[in-house]
Amino acid sequence: MFLAPWAVVYATFFVYPFVYSFVLALMRFNPLSPDAAAFVGLDNVRRLGGDADFARALRNTLVFVAGTVPVTTALALGLATLLRRPLPGRDLFKAAAFLPSVISMVVIALLFKLFYAPQGALNAALAHAGVAPHGWLTDPRTALPAIMAMDVWAAVGYYAVIFHAAYAAIPEELYEAAALDGAGALATLWHVTLPMMRPVIGFVVVINAIRSFQVFIEVFVMTQGGPLGSTTTLVLYLYETAFRRLDYGYASVVAWVVFALSAAFSLVAVRRLRPGAAAGGMP
Amino acid sequence: MRRRVETAMRLAALAAVVAAMAWPLAWMVSVSLRTPEGIGLRFYRDVWQAGPFDRYFLNSLIVVTVVLAGNLVFCTMAGYAFARYRIRGARLLFMLVVSTIMLPKQIVLVPLYMLVGRLGMLDTYWALTLPFLADPFNIFLVRRFVEALPPDCEEAARLDGAGEFTVLLRVVAPSIRPALAVVAVNTFLINWNAFLFPFILTSSTSMRTLPVGVAMLSQGAHSTDWGHLMAGAVIAALPVVAAFLAFQRQIIGGLASGMGR
Repeated sequence: MFLAPWAVVYATFFVYPFVYSFVLALMRFNPLSPDAAAFVGLDNVRRLGGDADFARALRNTLVFVAGTVPVTTALALGLATLLRRPLPGRDLFKAAAFLPSVISMVVIALLFKLFYAPQGALNAALAHAGVAPHGWLTDPRTALPAIMAMDVWAAVGYYAVIFHAAYAAIPEELYEAAALDGAGALATLWHVTLPMMRPVIGFVVVINAIRSFQVFIEVFVMTQGGPLGSTTTLVLYLYETAFRRLDYGYASVVAWVVFALSAAFSLVAVRRLRPGAAAGGMP
Repeated sequence: MRRRVETAMRLAALAAVVAAMAWPLAWMVSVSLRTPEGIGLRFYRDVWQAGPFDRYFLNSLIVVTVVLAGNLVFCTMAGYAFARYRIRGARLLFMLVVSTIMLPKQIVLVPLYMLVGRLGMLDTYWALTLPFLADPFNIFLVRRFVEALPPDCEEAARLDGAGEFTVLLRVVAPSIRPALAVVAVNTFLINWNAFLFPFILTSSTSMRTLPVGVAMLSQGAHSTDWGHLMAGAVIAALPVVAAFLAFQRQIIGGLASGMGR
């Protein structure tokens, strides 16, 4: 009885669309001519192979994930390490680093669209160093890296707070022992922190990667996938396929690719990072 | 002495981090305030009235209030039921639900749009609220807190003749208040900032929420008008920043409780 309201909402607005997306993936379906809808089996899946736009969206998304997740994780761990021992103003530093993660990505993306503009704050600052103004988002070579840098800026505080909480669970004696052995900061990080943090690092990598496979708002607001498709991501491609080209069937296949990538990544990560697995493999 | 030098170095590094975090945000605020007539709120007045950010703000407020209330009630009920009742298959069902929490929601984007359209709800408050009334993550949180409670108090209340709703409302809900605070703060943040689904499910200006309104502003007539753009962005960000400053502990604590520890 207590389950009923949730079950109704969940079944109607999640389970049913979830199952239906599988059916859609096997169909040719244009909402303007629903009568012409037909089952086409795996045709939509086969289309992926010859679709250069899809290939580019997939490549951009993989570059985005592979480029941002390790950097964000390393910086977040570094920041949490700086905050490990008590320090004047520690809560203030933590709050300041965390602040961007409560702000809507739409706001952040719009802010950085102007920040990166030829007359924006970044070029103004670089001008002091004698660097000529650059259209960071209008140059196909720098557009994706600029968006990735913004994502690291926006996400690092969130994961730093997770690492900070995890530090509290590591016994202080381990650090005292390391100090007695004369271990430096790097040796302590390598031999104490990383082994103890291993499950948390895995957790952070997985949730950040899953989030990053879905990157959409950033490119939608800042570049619309341009210039020259250099920032088109899978979810942007899904959105355009569904709502601009009204090709629901093919869009559902793209959605399943995003879903499968996330699921596969979390499965592999969970298996690899289980304590005791791959002995001595990871730090 | 060595400690002191080390602390000073950590402080310097942290100050650099904070400066890097604050720079773009401070720049956003300064652009929104610098009008041709000097420092002032003119851009804010413009987007509030003509944006129309007053309407976006109201829509966001209505949607978040309804979704928040729905999650508090429905997820408390469901989380309690999953924690306490021995129903055949409930454990398996719960595991399945939890395993989908993290996976990309875009998988239902197109089918949900079609469903909401067939129900005749596109571009209404129904579309913006109904699908989001019971987030499984909140159920997961409530269940874990209820499981940690000793069942004695509930049993005692039942012996006194209390019905199940009374037990939930008077005995369980007050003892899981920290969990409910996390549910409230999370739900507020997620839904206040939500973009993709509200964007797809609405089409008229009068039904847009703040994040969608900001994105529209960035592509409309004001798109080269930096002062107005940044004023709109600040209006959208201000409530969550205020909420963050007020509920820092719940937000950061809620994060730790989402880590499965």
